[in-house]
Amino acid sequence: MLAGFPALGTGVGLRPPHYAHVLETWPAIDWFEVISENFLVAGGRPLHVLERVRADYPVVLHGVSLSIGSVDPLDGDYLDRLRALAQRIEPAWISDHLCWTGVGGHTVHDLLPLPYTEEALDHVSERVRRVQDCLGRRIALENVSSYLAYCDSALSEWDFLAAVAERADCAILLDVNNVFVSAFNHGFDPWAYLAAVPTDRVVQFHLAGHSDHGTHLLDTHDHPVRDEVWALYAAAVRRFGAQSTLIEWDDQIPAFDRLHAEARHAAMVAEAACRADPVGDSTAPLAAHHRA
Amino acid sequence: MPTLSETQRLLWQLITAPEGVAAALAADADRGGGLTAALRRTVRDHPPLAAAQRVDVYANMYFFRVLDVLKEEYAATHALLGEVAFHNLVTDYLLRHPPAHFSIREAGRHLPEALVGHGAVAAHPCAADLARYERALNDAFDAAAAPVLQPAALAAIPQERWPGLRFALHPSVRLLACGWPVDALRAAVDRGEAAVDPPPAGIQLCVWRQDLTVFHRRLDAEELAALEAIERGASFAEVCLAASAGTPAENAAARLAGALARWLADGWIAEPTPSV
Repeated sequence: MLAGFPALGTGVGLRPPHYAHVLETWPAIDWFEVISENFLVAGGRPLHVLERVRADYPVVLHGVSLSIGSVDPLDGDYLDRLRALAQRIEPAWISDHLCWTGVGGHTVHDLLPLPYTEEALDHVSERVRRVQDCLGRRIALENVSSYLAYCDSALSEWDFLAAVAERADCAILLDVNNVFVSAFNHGFDPWAYLAAVPTDRVVQFHLAGHSDHGTHLLDTHDHPVRDEVWALYAAAVRRFGAQSTLIEWDDQIPAFDRLHAEARHAAMVAEAACRADPVGDSTAPLAAHHRA
Repeated sequence: MPTLSETQRLLWQLITAPEGVAAALAADADRGGGLTAALRRTVRDHPPLAAAQRVDVYANMYFFRVLDVLKEEYAATHALLGEVAFHNLVTDYLLRHPPAHFSIREAGRHLPEALVGHGAVAAHPCAADLARYERALNDAFDAAAAPVLQPAALAAIPQERWPGLRFALHPSVRLLACGWPVDALRAAVDRGEAAVDPPPAGIQLCVWRQDLTVFHRRLDAEELAALEAIERGASFAEVCLAASAGTPAENAAARLAGALARWLADGWIAEPTPSV
């Protein structure tokens, strides 16, 4: 396992509809992940909630606006604020996506795939190193769901992901649902994807539900995790170890107990996968629930 | 082979096309088809979806993601205009103000000013004021925290220093003068009632956050003038003058003293910095 990425167990995304429930009941969840941008604000309730939650749980900052692949300059204001937030709440780590979100000073607030070319590889790797220097820590980059592919991609997505992680010396947040969604949308084998990602770079898994639009799958985070994705997750645990796992649910958000049940199921799947096929030193122990 | 920059600029152009990708490409065909050719060089056709349809997935998500955020942030404006008019307003708005900030909560910052003179306002003349009020509520929600001036600290200041005192408003305070009672309209929508255009009636409002809750209160014209003077950095003597239009200054000072006590209790006045 890469230094700086402890095994946190199974967590969920902390979202506004659950703030009151979490602060009233302090549920037995291992850790929370938050969307960094929602807390890059001057004050008010979101920051107050985050600080209270952080006092009792590990928290990971997960960003959506780093735009590491954009040809625009890195956003210095964004990085300054992210660094300040990290100093304030001391997250377990910081992550974002291997993508671009805008160009020409504008953003589409979406995670657009990159062409998997040498030019993009050089560009992204250099920027990841600069971001890590700025933040003073290694970051984790997540594979995104995608709905288009580029004519000039010379590498597979998994080779590109592995090469960025190696060249930039960053970690990989492997979103298992995104692997499944993109595999369907582009016609590649998700199992081959998992088999090609380097085992020493993956520090976290994401799990989420997606929507089936017939011609394509959409990463909507508005459903329970699908059975096929659970199967892929079990294989990922066998290959990469029981890395910290996070359930994302961002639309049609259910009651916290339902989300918590999904997290408990993920822990059971991971434990079963570890028992079935231990992977030696690369297997991280499953963390105990943070609260009894 | 397109460069990374060319690829990203092409996709930006197509994703943000106001009528969608297909319409943009159809219009481009009339102009020689350069955009279509660039798309063909850049994005793969992969059955069952053609390249343009794949880009359109992103175009739809872009528009509806911003639309959903604006519906939430401008809930009463949305209710007043109705689904179609609000949809069209956001389409026009995004052409003039494409998102440029890392936070999607900033995507709608300029909606109130975009409403001024917009066709949607013809049927709902209070819409721009309503949107300004809703923006103020959003801004107060996550404005910076700051220590507030305590009455005891103020009372300890010698009387002869008062004319030169310069107060500062708490960072969450937003002052508005509106031509319609938009606070009542928003409250009705929050209660689940229908959004109905109110008759014109000038009001002044203060929106602020105390602890973690956002409040609003109506002000009279004198109180607004005084608070606006404070916002401009005026001395207390100048604040009294600003608030005394048409009345003897000593009466204004007495009334302001009463108002000041309430401002302190509501946390509208920030603790002065040592240099003040």
